[in-house]
Amino acid sequence: MSTPLQVYEPFRAGLPPLRTYWKSLWSRRTFISEYSRSELREQHFDSAFGQLWLILNPLLLSAVYFLLIVIIRGSSDSTRYAHLTATLFLFYLVSNSLTGGVKSITAGQRLILNTAFPRIMLPISAVVIAVIKFLPTLAVFLVIRTVLGLAFSWQMLWAIPVLLIAMLLSLGLAITISCVNVYFRDITNFLPYMTRTLLYLSPILYEASDLTPKLRTLELFNPLFPILDSWSRALVHGQVPHISHLLIALGWAFGIFFIGTYFFLSREREFAVRL
Amino acid sequence: MPSVSSPHKTNEIAVSVRDLSLTYTTAIDRRPTLKARLKTMGRGGKQTRVINALNQVNLDVEYGHVLGIIGANGAGKSSLMRVMAGIVPPTRGRVEVYGSVSTLLALGVGFNPSLTGRDNVYLGGLAAGMSREEIDTHFEEIAEFSELGEAIDAPMRTYSSGMYARLAFSVAATVRPDILIVDEALSTGDAKFKEKSLNRIKELRSDDRALILVSHAMATLLDVCNDVAWIHKGKLVMRGEPNTVINAYREFLQVGKSAAIDEDV
Repeated sequence: MSTPLQVYEPFRAGLPPLRTYWKSLWSRRTFISEYSRSELREQHFDSAFGQLWLILNPLLLSAVYFLLIVIIRGSSDSTRYAHLTATLFLFYLVSNSLTGGVKSITAGQRLILNTAFPRIMLPISAVVIAVIKFLPTLAVFLVIRTVLGLAFSWQMLWAIPVLLIAMLLSLGLAITISCVNVYFRDITNFLPYMTRTLLYLSPILYEASDLTPKLRTLELFNPLFPILDSWSRALVHGQVPHISHLLIALGWAFGIFFIGTYFFLSREREFAVRL
Repeated sequence: MPSVSSPHKTNEIAVSVRDLSLTYTTAIDRRPTLKARLKTMGRGGKQTRVINALNQVNLDVEYGHVLGIIGANGAGKSSLMRVMAGIVPPTRGRVEVYGSVSTLLALGVGFNPSLTGRDNVYLGGLAAGMSREEIDTHFEEIAEFSELGEAIDAPMRTYSSGMYARLAFSVAATVRPDILIVDEALSTGDAKFKEKSLNRIKELRSDDRALILVSHAMATLLDVCNDVAWIHKGKLVMRGEPNTVINAYREFLQVGKSAAIDEDV
C-alpha cells in the first residue's frame, strides 16, 4: 500500500480532516462503479427482460396515474400525460435514491465492521444506482413526447440544470436518511408513507398552475415542488423555468446536502459500534 | 500490496499501541427504533450505554512475530483489533501502524449476501483500497485456496458458515499484507481447512510479516504464536512467552488444562 505509516489518534468532535477524507474517497471511486454494476446485475438489469422491466415499470405506473387523473378530472389531454410521465420519472429518481439509501449503511454492516473506508461511499452508490435506473426512463419519455406530437425546442435544455439539482437533492437525502437509519432502524418502515406524501404534495398528478394561491404555499415546504415544476416547464412545455424556482431548488438541494453530509461525516466514525 | 516477500525486517515494529483507551456509546437495543424511543419518552429510560472497552493499553507488535491475543468474552480483544485496523478511532492514546493491514475480523467478508462470492471479494478489496488490477492478480489464488469451486459464482446467502469462513480467510491471507489481523475466524472451517490456514499463517510468519491472532483455541496459539498477550476487562494483564501466559490465563480461569479450551468451539 502506498501509505506505509498510518496513525490513529482520537478525533475531535465534528468533521474528519476533509482533505484526507476526500483523497481516500476518490481513490475508491472504482468501488462505487463496481458496486452499482454488481447490484444492477443482481437485479438482472443486464439482461434484455430486466431492462424492459426497468422501462415497463414506470410506464405502467404512469398509465395507472393517468387513469386516475382522467377519472377525477373527467378529461385530459396529451400535454397532461407528458407532464405526468416526465415528473413521475424524475420523482422516482428521488424516491429510488431514498429507498436505496436508507438501508445502505445498515446493509453494509459486515463491510463497515471489517474495513476502514469512507462510509459515505455507500449512500453515494445507492444514488448512482438510482441514476442508472433513471436514464432509460428519460429516453422513454422522449419517445412518448415525440409520439404525442409535442414540439421540441432549445428551451428544453433547461432540463439539464434541473436534473443536476435533482441529483444533488437525491444525494443529500440519501446521505441523511442512511445516517438516521443507523439510530432509528424503523425509518425504513416510515419511508413509504413519506414518499407517498411527497408524491401527492408535488406537481405530478396536477400542474403547479392548477393550484389555488392558498395551496401554492405548499411549495415553500417541499423541495421537490420547484424542481418538478421547472422540469415540466422545460421538458414538457418547452419554456424557460422561473429563475426564482431554480434558485429555491438549488438552495434546498445545497442545504440538505451540506447539513446531511455534515451530520453523516461527524457521525460515521461511530457507525462501527452502533451497528 | 507487496507481492512476494515483506519489505520489513524481523523485530522491526509493525504496530505500536500507546496508552490506548477506548470508550464508546452504543445502543442497548440491537435494533434501536423511533417507535421504542417515543414509547419510553418521559420515563427517563436509558437508550444507550457507555462501554469502557480498553483502558491504557500499551502493546508493540514486531515483524516476524505471531502475537496471540487471549481473554474472556467481552475483554476488549475485538475492540483492540478494530482500533489497530482503523475501523474505530481511539478515545485516548495513539496507534501507529507501519505497513499495510489486512483484517479478518469476526464477521469475515461478505458485504452483500445477495451478491456472488466473486462480487463480494472484489467489493471488499476495492473498499479496502486495492485496485481492480491488484484483485485480478490475486483472484485465482483466492478462489483456489478457498476450495469453493463453482460456488464462488453463487450468491453468498447460499453459503454455509464454513464456506464463509474459508472465503474470508483466503482473501485476507492471499493478498499477503504486511500485517494480518485474524479475529476468531479459524474456528469455523473443517479440520482440513484449519490445518491449511495454520500452514499459511506459519508461512506468512517465516516471511517476516506480522500476525495478530485472536483466539480461544489455546492449542492453536501454542502451536503458532511466539508471543501471547492476555487482555482482561480492557487492560493488558500479561504479555510474553506463550506457555507462561497461557498457563497463567488457565489458572485464572480455574479450568485447568481441560479439553474444552484446547478445542475450537
